[in-house]
Amino acid sequence: MQLDFKRGSRAFYLAIVTLVIMAIFVIRLFYLQVIRYDYYTDLARQEQTKQLVIPAKRGEIYAMDDGNPVKIVLNETVYTVFADPKVVDKPQEIIDNVRKVAGGNARPNLEELLGKKESRYQILATKVSRKQAEMLKNVHLKGLGFQAETQRVYPEGQLASQTLGFVDSEGNGKYGLEQELNDKLAGKDGLLRSVTDVSNVPLTIGNDNVNQPAKNGDNVVLTVDRNIQSYAEKALALGLKNSRATNGSVMVMDPKTGKIMAMANLPTFNPAEINKVQDAAAFNNGTVVVPYEPGSDIKALTVTVGVDKGVITPTSTFNNTDSVKVEDRTIGNATKGQTGNITIQTALNYSLNTGMIEIMKRLGDGNNITLSARNTLYEYFHDKLGLGELTGVELAGEAKGTVIPPTDVDGGAVRYSNMAFGQGMDVTMLQVCSAFSTVINGGTYYYPTVIAGKMSDDGQNFTEQPIKTPRTSVISPATASTVREMVHQARHIFYASQDKPGYYIGGKTGTSQVIENGQYADDQTIGTYLGFGGSSPDDPRYVIMVQVSGKHMLLAGNKDAMPIFTDISNWLIDYLKLQPKG
Amino acid sequence: MSYQRTQFANRRGAAPLGRNQNTVAFTSAVKLGPVTHTVLVALMITVLGLIYLTQATRTTGYDYEAQKIDSKIADLNNQKTDLEVENSRLTALENVQNSSVAREMTKPASTDYVRE
Repeated sequence: MQLDFKRGSRAFYLAIVTLVIMAIFVIRLFYLQVIRYDYYTDLARQEQTKQLVIPAKRGEIYAMDDGNPVKIVLNETVYTVFADPKVVDKPQEIIDNVRKVAGGNARPNLEELLGKKESRYQILATKVSRKQAEMLKNVHLKGLGFQAETQRVYPEGQLASQTLGFVDSEGNGKYGLEQELNDKLAGKDGLLRSVTDVSNVPLTIGNDNVNQPAKNGDNVVLTVDRNIQSYAEKALALGLKNSRATNGSVMVMDPKTGKIMAMANLPTFNPAEINKVQDAAAFNNGTVVVPYEPGSDIKALTVTVGVDKGVITPTSTFNNTDSVKVEDRTIGNATKGQTGNITIQTALNYSLNTGMIEIMKRLGDGNNITLSARNTLYEYFHDKLGLGELTGVELAGEAKGTVIPPTDVDGGAVRYSNMAFGQGMDVTMLQVCSAFSTVINGGTYYYPTVIAGKMSDDGQNFTEQPIKTPRTSVISPATASTVREMVHQARHIFYASQDKPGYYIGGKTGTSQVIENGQYADDQTIGTYLGFGGSSPDDPRYVIMVQVSGKHMLLAGNKDAMPIFTDISNWLIDYLKLQPKG
Repeated sequence: MSYQRTQFANRRGAAPLGRNQNTVAFTSAVKLGPVTHTVLVALMITVLGLIYLTQATRTTGYDYEAQKIDSKIADLNNQKTDLEVENSRLTALENVQNSSVAREMTKPASTDYVRE
């Protein structure tokens, strides 16, 4: 084909014009598609590509129920119902339906909210269940929308609330296990970056789509048995009612593993209703985060040191005068009258401070609480039995407490004579329980734990978590056996009638003073009881520690804390199906 | 139909023709110009484009299908979660203890144990 344009002809000019127009198009397209390439592809990507976060499911929490894990913290999808007042055409119909379906979850001023025509988003109801949301969706009301969110559900109410903690509105764990294991429980959100259509449906067109699935959080199984926990809470509540104490804590531990079977504290709270809590102290797990002066419970440990060091036996005698001078201080007994030549067993039975000071002297040169004696007590209390040290329990806010070393300027003879009967040091109930369990189980220090293992996503496979390597041979088995019998006798002599016959139960009372404004208050004492139980001496199955306190209240271990121990102990014997052997 | 045996003269410089070998090339009487060629190429490109579009649209259709299934899965998961929550609430200690079955239970008057 041969084109033959004559110069000046109309065809020639037409061709020129066409070519110019074509050139303009080509140049413009070149400018848009080559020179401004990056700009326009970015613009297109912003408009067409959506980045969606795939929320990870927070791990659920299980408790034991007679050896089987059961869910005690779950997740539930709830909906926020909102409206676009500009789009709404039947406001009265929406108001009627929302009120009828959402009930108390609906906002009280719905008419006012829907009247705000200038706004595009008004929340009409919150925390609406899926069923309620479905009912509202089925009415097909114009301008009504639903926003899904996840919330924690606590079917057991306030059970073990201080152990569990709660999740705040930002989705962060607060207090207890929720805070300590937040990273494990939270999981990792996934990411979906994709080209979407107008209604946000991801399309597979596009070269840089990303689909990163969410990694759900771990499902944690606790060592806490919900039945023991529930009973401990009830027994504690009843005990506090009887003693009129305002605060109390109970801990139940398996002495042969360090697994915590129950941790109860009063006052408590319901994690589903944290907005109703008036005093934030209720969130604290007193057994773990509140150090206190343990009092006479510690005498069982002081006796252990003496027996293990070979300076005393249960039948060793000393002259009790009901008071003893240590440096410039005179220390007396709370229980008077057991004077004269008495045994260490008697000193333990009657909780005599003078008996413990006698042990301290014998750890020294026989007459004085020497540095060597102080070093020995510190080595046992702190290094071996873990008093004044973090246990590493998987709960937030664990307190270390204070056990002053003998090298410290405050670690003199007076301090250590006080420490021998449980004053002059700050420890947690958890530390005392773990230390006492070491004596009761034969001399192995097990690190306390609330984690039994992990549960698979489908809730079918429970993987047990191995316990942390314990500290073995902390005390000799012979010492453990001797002290176990001494503690058994200390209870048996006074309270044998209160225990179920045929079982081997032991315990030690404690009544400790409280420091107010730098000195011991005269009008306030904390009552504690620390004991163990089982079928036979060589098979202790539980250690229970009880503590009761109250502002300006004089509470005693034997009168106020011990009945709670007895109640739980007798129930636990039945629950654990222990065979009587005695 | 009759066949005629044909003798072909040997082309200059070529090897002798073998048996059953074509010696005549078919040439169409219809001649296609450059415009036709251009139109044909454009048509082919259009057809290819349409095929591509069909495929792309089909994958988008699958996307919608997948989205429907995904949302159904999510819905069923939500239902499952709701049932689990309901189950946990119904089997919570408080509920069990207050159940009619538990209320009918009585404490044993005396308990004897087998001693080992």
